[in-house]
Order: sequence, then structure tokens, then C-alpha cells
Amino acid sequence: MMQRFPLVSIVMLAWNRKDDVRESLRHIQKIDYEPLEIIVVDNASDDGTAQMVEAEFPDVHLIKMKKNIGIAAYNVGFEQAKGKYIVIIDDDSFPARHAIRRMVQVFEKDERLGAVAFDVRNYDHYDEIKNELEDTDETEEVKAVASDYLMSFNGAGVGIRKDLFKKIGYYPEEFFLYYNEMDCAFKIWNAGYRIEFYSNIVSYHKYSPKNRASWRAPFYYTRNAFWLIWKHYPMDMALNTTLRLIYHCLYYSIEQKTTVYLKAMWSAFREAYKLKGKRKAVDRAIAQKLRVPFNLSFTFYR
Amino acid sequence: MKKLLIVRSVSMQQLDNNLKAIINTFPDYEYHMLTHEHSVKLVEKYDVIKKIIVYPYKQSFSIKRPVPELKNEIYDVVIIPVSNLTGAGFFNVFQFSLSLKSKRRVICNLISDLWDITSGQIRWMRMKHIMMSIVSMTGSIIAGLLVVLFLPFMLKRLEKKGE
Repeated sequence: MMQRFPLVSIVMLAWNRKDDVRESLRHIQKIDYEPLEIIVVDNASDDGTAQMVEAEFPDVHLIKMKKNIGIAAYNVGFEQAKGKYIVIIDDDSFPARHAIRRMVQVFEKDERLGAVAFDVRNYDHYDEIKNELEDTDETEEVKAVASDYLMSFNGAGVGIRKDLFKKIGYYPEEFFLYYNEMDCAFKIWNAGYRIEFYSNIVSYHKYSPKNRASWRAPFYYTRNAFWLIWKHYPMDMALNTTLRLIYHCLYYSIEQKTTVYLKAMWSAFREAYKLKGKRKAVDRAIAQKLRVPFNLSFTFYR
Repeated sequence: MKKLLIVRSVSMQQLDNNLKAIINTFPDYEYHMLTHEHSVKLVEKYDVIKKIIVYPYKQSFSIKRPVPELKNEIYDVVIIPVSNLTGAGFFNVFQFSLSLKSKRRVICNLISDLWDITSGQIRWMRMKHIMMSIVSMTGSIIAGLLVVLFLPFMLKRLEKKGE
């Protein structure tokens, strides 16, 4: 009797990256796993991304948004995904050829494994490193774990159980951009599931220095850092960490001669109403152990 | 053989780029990498890295958290990758590098430009850091008074009903 493999849905959010989307979808067509559902959510691109997907990839399930609503558009794709597992990618990333098969293997062995974090590598070196990365010995110990702290994942390559993801409410739409993975990580760990890195489950990502130089990364990372702790930390930890973040916003504003961190902090307080009904403090042990790199917010600007 | 240590202070994606430039600039060195525990399996993929040293803490690199394993190790070069163009926001890593014994300290930025930073320059940065800390601390104490009074009520109002 033939073994039946579970359906996996790959969900990509696209915005004005027609050529990258085409390239990613071509790589996805080479993936050695079936059954596979590919969903592209087009966040109202005006460069013809949606038309290109319709014309060149008729098997792809295309969802066209009427306007750019940020990461909330991912949730539309997640909700429509029929797979037992959802693989999340960016519009400039794609899973390696064996990644989905390996991911399903580890999920099927462990019901409490909530998310499989891929090793996200630089696409610029795809030709140099792909063979080495993909042809690793499959019996080798490949979990990348820390013994006394917990990790999140990179949204350019991760697999999540659909039922769990639905239960925790998918990505936080109020975040718009950045730190959405960390928000999910709090909820996954708090739901009693684990997130694990596997070094032989790889995705490739076009790492763009240009995008990182914009104001968006420091602004949204900083604002959402406040929102993360207000949503998930126990009261005393939220107070302490808020004070620490305020200090950092002031410090790095002086260091980098910018007002972007102060604007982000102001925005966090002014728009805190968007979090109404969304605060649920996680277990203290999770809040203490989950590694949140708050300094990251202050390293993008200059 | 000369020894070079890379402090893994940026993403693996950036390091994929930086490593090539580092090897081109410093050929014929023995390359070591200092990284947090969760990244060891990912760093093992670099064949050129002969030794991986685990940073034995959950938190970011800090001079207050030196690495006992490297106490007696002497390097010819320590590389400090930064995820932007100037190194802004990485003072903690620069300062941490003073806890390592090395003849040279070299910054490697987002686009793989490399330049030396001396211990004197880091100490001068420390002076500026102290000044900025005093100003920031004063500001955060003032803001903190409001936050301590106001934030608990705000967080209560944000809670999920029935929690």
C-alpha cells in the first residue's frame, strides 16, 4: 500500500518583486515533495507581479489584495491554506529542494513540535553552497538547539502546524512589518509546543542591504518591541523592559543622531489601543527563556 | 599559523557574504568563530572554520560576560561584523572585543568593507558612551515616573477578556 504524505501549503507574500517572485516559484517547482499547494498573496503590487503569476504559474493559488495591508495579508493566505503544515516564505526566498520532505519527516515524528525553523542562507551564494547544504547526511544529528534558552524563527523559511497556527491567531496584523515571528514564537511556546532549528532544512533568501537602510526597519522593529513585551510579558517584566527600551531609544537617538526611535516609541504608546484584547502574559519561564534580541532594533539605521 | 577569530554578531545570511571578503583579505589564517549555542550547527557548515567557540550566555555579547575558554587565547585578528554601514549600535560588541587578546580588531560591515578599530578608539567610544548614558538615564528616569504610574493600568486594559 502506498504511503500517503500530508499536504503542505507554501504561503508567499509578494509586493512589487515580480522578478524575484518568478525566480522563487521556479525553484519551488523543483521541490522533491508532493502533495504541495503553493499560495501567493499579492499585496496590491503595481509592477505586474499578480499578472505574471497568473500567466506563468497557472497552478499557483493567487490571492489578490486590494491594498497593501502588510503582514496581515499573510493571514489571508494562511486561512485559505488546506495543508496540514504551512511553510512561510518571503517573496525573495524559497525552500531548498529537500527541505519540505525533511520538514514533514520531523513533524510526523513529534506531535509537540509546533514549528520547524529552516536554516535561512544567503541566495547570492546559492550555486556555491547549495550542494554542500542539501546533500548532508540525513542520519546526522541536525537539530540546532540551545540548552538553557528558547528561540524564535526566521519568517523567510519556517514550517508551522496549520491547526496550531490557526489556534494562536496567525501573524499579529497590528504589527504591519517585523517582529511578527517573535510574536508567534511567544504563542507557540506558551501553547506547549516547541520551535526547533534544523541545519539540514534550508531556505535561500536574497539578503538586501538596500531595504535594511530604510527607515522602516528601525521604526517597526522598535515600535513592535514595545508591543511584544506589552502583549506577552508578565507585568513586572513588562515594566522593567519598557524602562530599558525607553533608555535605549534615547541612547541610540543620540548615538545615531536620528528621531526615528523616538517616533517609534511615541507611536507604540499612542497606538497602544490596537493591542486591546490581545494582551495575554505568557508563563514566566517562557518570558525569561525566550531570546528576544531587543538590540536588533537599533542596528539598522546607519 | 596566524589565527583569526570572527565574533558572530550578525545573521548567517550576512556572514555568508562577509566570510568571502574576510578570507580574501586575510588568506592563510586559521579561522575560528565565536557564536551563541543555537548557531553551532549552522556555523559547522563553513568548512573553513576550524574551531567553533560557544558564547556561554543567552544575552548579547558584553564585556561583563567574557568567555572563560578564550581567557588565555591570543589571536592575530578579531573580526567584528556589523549589520549596517558604520557600526552604530554595536558598541557592546566592540567593547566586548577588549576582553579578547588580539593584535588587531577589524570591523566588517554589511557590504563587507573592512577597517581597523583600535583599543584606544573603543575606549574613546566608551567615554562618549558614558556621557550618552547619563543623558539617556536622566531622560528615562523622568519618562519612567510616568510609565510606572500609567503602564500597569494600560496593560490591564489591553488584557484579553476572561484572562
